Amino acid sequence: MHAPRRLAPIALGTAALFLLAGCSGGNSANTDDAEQSGGSLVIDTAFSIETTDPGHTYDPTGNMVAKALYETLVDFEGSDVTTPVPGLASWEQNDDATEFTFTLEDGRTFSDGSEITADDVVFSLQRIQGMVEAKPNFLLTGLTVEKIDDSTVSITSETPLLQLPAILANPALGIVNADVVEENGGATDGSDSAQSYLDGESAGSGPFILDTLDLTSQVVLTKNPEYTGDEEPAYDRVVIRNVTESATQLINLQGGDTMVAMDLNGDQVEGLDDGFTVDSVPSGQTIFLLLNQSPDVAGELANVDLSEAVRYALDYDALLELAGAGATQATGVIPTGFEGALEEGVTQDLDRATAALEASGYDGQTLRLQFPNDYPVGGVEFTPLAERIQAQLAEIGLNVELAPAPFATELDAYVGGTEGFGLWFWGPDYADSANFLPFAPGLKVGLRAGWDASANPEIADLAAAAASATDVDERTEDFTAFAEAMQESGPFVPLIVPGRNIATADSVTGAVYNSVWDVDIAEITPAG
Amino acid sequence: MTTGTTSPAPARAGARRYRARSPLARYLVRRAGTSVLLLVGVTIVTFTLTNLVPGDPVSAALGEGAAQNPETREAFIRSRGLDQPFVVQYLLYMGNLLRGDLGTSLVTGRAVTTDLATAVPATVEIAIAAIVVSLAVSIVLGTLAAYRRGLVTDQVVRVVTLVGLSVPTFWLALVSFYIFFLQLRIAPGSGRISPSITPPPRVTGFYTIDYLLNGDGVGFLDAAAHLALPVLVLSLVTIGLLTRFIRTSVLEVLASDYVRAARAKGLSGARVVLDYVLRGASLPILTVVGVAFGALLSGTVLVESVFSWPGLGTYAYNSASNLDLPGIMGVGLVVGVIYLVINFVVDLLYGVLDPRVRLA
Repeated sequence: MHAPRRLAPIALGTAALFLLAGCSGGNSANTDDAEQSGGSLVIDTAFSIETTDPGHTYDPTGNMVAKALYETLVDFEGSDVTTPVPGLASWEQNDDATEFTFTLEDGRTFSDGSEITADDVVFSLQRIQGMVEAKPNFLLTGLTVEKIDDSTVSITSETPLLQLPAILANPALGIVNADVVEENGGATDGSDSAQSYLDGESAGSGPFILDTLDLTSQVVLTKNPEYTGDEEPAYDRVVIRNVTESATQLINLQGGDTMVAMDLNGDQVEGLDDGFTVDSVPSGQTIFLLLNQSPDVAGELANVDLSEAVRYALDYDALLELAGAGATQATGVIPTGFEGALEEGVTQDLDRATAALEASGYDGQTLRLQFPNDYPVGGVEFTPLAERIQAQLAEIGLNVELAPAPFATELDAYVGGTEGFGLWFWGPDYADSANFLPFAPGLKVGLRAGWDASANPEIADLAAAAASATDVDERTEDFTAFAEAMQESGPFVPLIVPGRNIATADSVTGAVYNSVWDVDIAEITPAG
Repeated sequence: MTTGTTSPAPARAGARRYRARSPLARYLVRRAGTSVLLLVGVTIVTFTLTNLVPGDPVSAALGEGAAQNPETREAFIRSRGLDQPFVVQYLLYMGNLLRGDLGTSLVTGRAVTTDLATAVPATVEIAIAAIVVSLAVSIVLGTLAAYRRGLVTDQVVRVVTLVGLSVPTFWLALVSFYIFFLQLRIAPGSGRISPSITPPPRVTGFYTIDYLLNGDGVGFLDAAAHLALPVLVLSLVTIGLLTRFIRTSVLEVLASDYVRAARAKGLSGARVVLDYVLRGASLPILTVVGVAFGALLSGTVLVESVFSWPGLGTYAYNSASNLDLPGIMGVGLVVGVIYLVINFVVDLLYGVLDPRVRLA
């Protein structure tokens, strides 16, 4: 007797839900259309952001947002990261490249209207130096930041540091409003606790201010009404959404729900028809093979002859097919677009490969190729790449067994230098070729390949010379010599520089990829 | 035994008497006790498993640069208690857990409880809507198929449920997103709300309810519209499962004497279905709904990924791929609790629906 009374509301409720879903669906499509003609910009990207506090950020999305909220002493224009230009300040340096003097531009203000002074600069940089756990902390290691007067700051380095201006262009070194941040827990002695405040509000001078930060779904920015720089934003409101699936980004872009899709792969951008613009450029990442030089790991195969055999056995054009639009062959450990990069990469030479393989003492052993299988770099999946490498090496009689593992698990073996044969990638921490010197013997990446400084003192010297150069031209020559020597007798086989595709609807223009901050949001404007 | 009239708090005394006497109440207490024990078991399993995972959470959390600095490493390890023996770490974890502290996510740097407080409602909102929709549809389809056993209707329902069960969720989600959003333009884009709309002030974490509570009709419709497609996709899978069960249960009941008697009495068809058949079939249906709800939660991982839904699935994936141990344990715990709660509720409903359980 009671059952009908119980079932009736359920049936009614279900009917109502269906009705609702049906009619509101159409409704919302209309609001989407209306929203497009408004003053708001929507960007879809797979989030890699932990905070909007520039002092703690060091991820692609985090840097892009920090770039919109904060300004740095030094800047880059568009996608050119080889020539630092003045940002908040212009600078002079001594001949040894150890002392830099920055003069702040007049009349620049924070979003609360107060003037940017040398105190703000000193506080911002010293704050990061104080926070040893902060990810950008290492950028300022060995530097001394001092105020000279209200509009002048000096930064001195213990060793020659020609790349200092390029380092200072990193959005993580954005200048914060010292008064505001100090009021909210900011400090330079390491006791800083301002991050939670800066995750709710911004305290910078960038073209935008922070509206809301939701690490899982979206970051909303609004126009900074007090902005005094020369990149006046065209949009009042910017919504950066976390869309992890690139197929979803594609459909959102085609359907007009978003104007900018940051993570489409090569196949997806090639399928885009009229009405969309794609900026495809090589990213700063390099995918490479490493062959361990430590006898403890690689046994009798710990020699660079084996690296040479692998280097000349590969068909790079065939590997590039797996990478899609914008990708190029890696010409060396320094990717194209950076100082000292080589013009030409290696071309397949099976005779040379076979000879080198013989010289290496290879005797039919099976090499285990270790790689992360859940971490595509610039749209390049490692598993098919490893399979193709395996097939190509079989042609010279080199047996390879694939040993894939999740990134988080495999990272240990790579960093610990226990991989005999590995497939990995390397990207610059900031826009300067000094970032590729760690491939040298005895340095970070070199050691991961079991390659200590005594293994090749010549290359170690070349790297040291490039690191301490004080003259720009000399430095470029040093980098070139280093890159050449690495291709000649290093334990690495650079493979691919993946492409980076920024796809935009034709209704917007100016979304240009930059390897340091992905995209400068303020440069995106309505088309026409 | 005190009488109700002399007791200063008659209602409470009455309740106590009831608890002592009622088998249902005894059953309830016993069942709750088991749940707590199971929950402790869940914590042990999740804690052990996450600690067995190879890999270095310190490097994962600090990033390469900072992780190479021994002092930073040391400080980080000490501040997170990672230098303590395994058992001590577990006890520390349990101690914090009892205070409602699930630790700090190594990835977001925020309390895991804060992260979960946004992720769990997002997923539960979809799951509840999907279970309601699929239950309603399945009851109709399943009963229909049972009544028309062997006829065309039965065959059609069989094909529909088979499709629902065998089509991969991820594919279905993408294709339906493509068709309903891009081609037909009747569904909105990905996410919980349109980019032009501001999230509601948080009360329950369910956007639809929070918008309603805030009196925001536009926001409610937008949130409901964004909910529709993910719910539809998840429902299709669940409908496949539920319909088959309901059909079987209804068939069994249809063959029973009391249904035949009801029909012989000349009761209307609808009356027989609602009062006799479905009531009789409700117990097995209830069981499978409990199972289906659990399956829904795991199905949301893929659906959330396609629809950019910031829920538990997304959070679990992010935590796992970044070796965020507190985050992974938090997710494991929440999923464990949800399962236990569902089983608990299902068991209770047994008692409500079937008098025999009450006497057991």
